[in-house]
Amino acid sequence: MPLLYPLVLSAALFGIGLYGVLARRNAVMMLLGVELMLNAVNLNLVAFDAWFADQLHTGQVLTLFTITIAAAEIGLGLAIVLALFRAVRTVDVDEVGASS
Amino acid sequence: MRRTWSYVVLTAALSVAVAVWAVPHLEGDASTRVWVEGSSLLGVSLATHVDALAAQVLLLAVGVGLLVQIYSTAYLGHHARYRSYALVIILFLFGMIAVVAADDLFVLLIGWEVMGLCSYLLIGHEWQTAAARSGAAKAFLMTRVADLGLLVGILVIGQTYGTYRISEVITQEPDNATAIGLLLLVAVVGKSAQFPLHTWLPDAMPGPTPITALIHAATMVAAGVYLVARLMPIFEASELVMTLLAIIAAVTMLLGALFALAQTDLKRALAWSTVSQLAFMFAALSTGDADAGTDHLLSHGAFKALLFLGCGCLMHAVGSSALSAMGGLRLRMPVTFWTMSIGFAALAGVVPTVGFFTKDSVLHALDHGRHEGPLPEGIAVMLLGVALLTSFVTAAYATRLWLLAFLAPATTDRAGLSTGSRSEHRAMTGPLLALAVASFALSIGQPFHLGMGVLSTLVAAAGVGAVLMVWRRGHSLDLDAPWLTSELGLDRPYASWIPSTTRSSARAVVDVDRDGIDAYSHGSVRVAELASRVLALVQTGNVQRYATVIAAGVVVITAAAVIWT
Repeated sequence: MPLLYPLVLSAALFGIGLYGVLARRNAVMMLLGVELMLNAVNLNLVAFDAWFADQLHTGQVLTLFTITIAAAEIGLGLAIVLALFRAVRTVDVDEVGASS
Repeated sequence: MRRTWSYVVLTAALSVAVAVWAVPHLEGDASTRVWVEGSSLLGVSLATHVDALAAQVLLLAVGVGLLVQIYSTAYLGHHARYRSYALVIILFLFGMIAVVAADDLFVLLIGWEVMGLCSYLLIGHEWQTAAARSGAAKAFLMTRVADLGLLVGILVIGQTYGTYRISEVITQEPDNATAIGLLLLVAVVGKSAQFPLHTWLPDAMPGPTPITALIHAATMVAAGVYLVARLMPIFEASELVMTLLAIIAAVTMLLGALFALAQTDLKRALAWSTVSQLAFMFAALSTGDADAGTDHLLSHGAFKALLFLGCGCLMHAVGSSALSAMGGLRLRMPVTFWTMSIGFAALAGVVPTVGFFTKDSVLHALDHGRHEGPLPEGIAVMLLGVALLTSFVTAAYATRLWLLAFLAPATTDRAGLSTGSRSEHRAMTGPLLALAVASFALSIGQPFHLGMGVLSTLVAAAGVGAVLMVWRRGHSLDLDAPWLTSELGLDRPYASWIPSTTRSSARAVVDVDRDGIDAYSHGSVRVAELASRVLALVQTGNVQRYATVIAAGVVVITAAAVIWT
């Protein structure tokens, strides 16, 4: 498989994620955007690991590491969003910024 | 009283010290001594040079200084600020000693400026009156501006001769004489109140009278004469400078004498007389005869100090220096009358007072200057003519002042003034007697020129006679010529033109500063304000918008990097 396909897919994923972070006002959707960008990076890592045929598979190891971090990060992020919702009864970032 | 005598003792100690130093040099053996050697950087060393002339002037300065200090104990001893007054006199004497004895031109300059400062402080001693304040400021400003000539002149001398020591400068071949001479002339004209910088001296008269006697008659104003005499080889080398000096002297001596003739104020008349007599000395110097000029300096120092101190006695008695307030004082103040009569006789040039002999020397020098010397013949003849005319006017105004002060009928009732010598304090009459004796004693050994002596006596007698004739016929002695009482309006440039020019140029500078230079700073403020308003539009506070801009920036940079590599 040529390298180009996973790279195009990963760029598309990253672009969608970036769009989500920049354009959405819902905090949960912004967190989803961050997740998409992280996974685009994971895809890149795996693709290049396969392309270089690295003996130690550092790319795959780093991917596993990133997934772990991402799991922790999304847990923490959702907890903050929940706390935010309890406090101000909304998860819209513009309203939160305006009310504070 | 003990308080005041301590300053007299201090002055006396200074006088004795200076006398011990100066007297051995009177016979003419000059000595140059370096007290502190200067560094090679500036080359200024504390050096003194005392010859016969310097010794004479030193003795005159400390002698008059001591007499004035004694006189002041009675005149101003109860004044609240007597302490500072007496100390400034002593400081002044140090300045004068520095000028007279200095061998290094910078030491001379320092003394010269110290004298100017003391003159300012003492004219303004009665600073509660507006006249004293403005007179002090005027004297200081005019002499100080003129002093720049001395400073620049000294620098030029240093550049030309490679040394600042007078004793070395005058032994060298004169060089750059015209430039140096003109620069020094500016300082001399300012300090000695010569035309056209003469108007400060009459306006310095609100100062205490003893100060006028010391500074503005005997010593400081004569320092200009002394400086010219000291640097005579440089002045002599330039015909232009000497001609200019002669013209200045001629104009000043006649104007001063005429103004003195028209005054209604005794002290101001004596001030104009001083201006005129100083010009007399400069006339002698301009022919290259330094001895005649400095002899007249010494004799004038004695008899003019006498006249001013006597004037102070009269002012003390009648409470005013206006001639109209005086009159009929002959019997009430006999000591003042007799001593001032001697002073007026010396001023008019009556034999055998010292004034006659030194005036005779000056006239002889002028006569001599027609044939040889640095002056062109026409100028020398003119100078001699003006000097004889001035002698006539001098004799006339001296007689007029004498008559009006002592012999005219008293115009005001003086019930409060006691008769006889009781109205005269001993501390005030003592200096008068000493100076009166000096007015005769200094005549001893003076040269005498028969022809000129007879001529000047005739001229003086004509002046005295003319005034006496007018007086005998019962006419008023007040001259009503408006051009004389207004002093020709010569003060107008200093009193009105220069201040108004300064004021308008200051206003113009303010305008330029406000409308021109400030426009830039105000403009930059406005530009910054506008720019910040534009930039504030971008600052929304929305983090997502900032992040969008950052992402767009990254995309642009990446695209640019891809395209151009």
